[in-house]
Amino acid sequence: MKDSAPPTLDEWLVRAAAGDRAGLAALVHAHQRAVYSLALRMLGTREAAEDLAQEVFMELGGKLRSLESNAHVSFWLRRVTTHRAIDQLRRRARVEMTSLEAEEPVLFSPEDSHDPVLERSLRTLLEDLTPPARAVLLLRYQEDLDPVDIAKTLDMPVNTVKSHLKRSLDTLRQGMPAETLDAHEKRRDE
Amino acid sequence: MSEDLESKLREAMRPVAPRRELTDALISRLTEGRDGQEASSAAAPPVTRVTPARRLQRPVWWLPVGLAASLLLAVGIQSLHEHDQREKGLEARRQVFEALRVTNQKLDLVYRAVHDESKS
Repeated sequence: MKDSAPPTLDEWLVRAAAGDRAGLAALVHAHQRAVYSLALRMLGTREAAEDLAQEVFMELGGKLRSLESNAHVSFWLRRVTTHRAIDQLRRRARVEMTSLEAEEPVLFSPEDSHDPVLERSLRTLLEDLTPPARAVLLLRYQEDLDPVDIAKTLDMPVNTVKSHLKRSLDTLRQGMPAETLDAHEKRRDE
Repeated sequence: MSEDLESKLREAMRPVAPRRELTDALISRLTEGRDGQEASSAAAPPVTRVTPARRLQRPVWWLPVGLAASLLLAVGIQSLHEHDQREKGLEARRQVFEALRVTNQKLDLVYRAVHDESKS
């Protein structure tokens, strides 16, 4: 009997490049969370994130034949999303994430073991960071990329990536109340 | 502490799911886009793209015309300048001759006066 293993993402990519709807849907399902979350955490509102995600995926549609693998697609999507978001933020006279806090977009995973203090500190940190530093932090902790891959994605020297990360973590630590830090330490000791 | 904070960050920053409507919109727009591309490439005649190399090969009529016009203008200006200089030179020479003639007349008068004086 013939083995009917589900197609891999690389196989879906080939089908998508040929215009197959199932292939295109598989690619969207595989990458939409990453693209949408990067856009949301960079831009701060659901509407802006959805617009950017649509723009990026539409551009992906025209690029499918030139992308060689699913890893290549991931790299391309992260790169285009972060660069576009940085451009948008630079175009804005002032990043108005604070004024959007009233609608409280869900920036962080709701299914997580909820840590409101960390979330508040993170939200404040993201608001305060420059667009490139924000992109570095997201690629590191959302996308789990190492500094070398972040540097390639953002066209930035590795040392700049490292210094952005160090500064962001220091700022985050300073912004968190001491008892929260103690709680983190205690939990780690247990 | 640092590792713990970093793992907390990873947890908090896990990608969030977009609205179902966005997923549907993405899939349908992508599919429409691909269908549109295929339909237009099937129906429309092949578009002759002008590549940079072909653009360079295309005869550029305005370049020699522009060069010739610039050259003519430069020659014209130069000859005007030369004509002007020549005119100025001739005028200066006329003035020098006139001055010499006047001086000569005066000297002649003086010579005659002195000569008449010595005679008498």
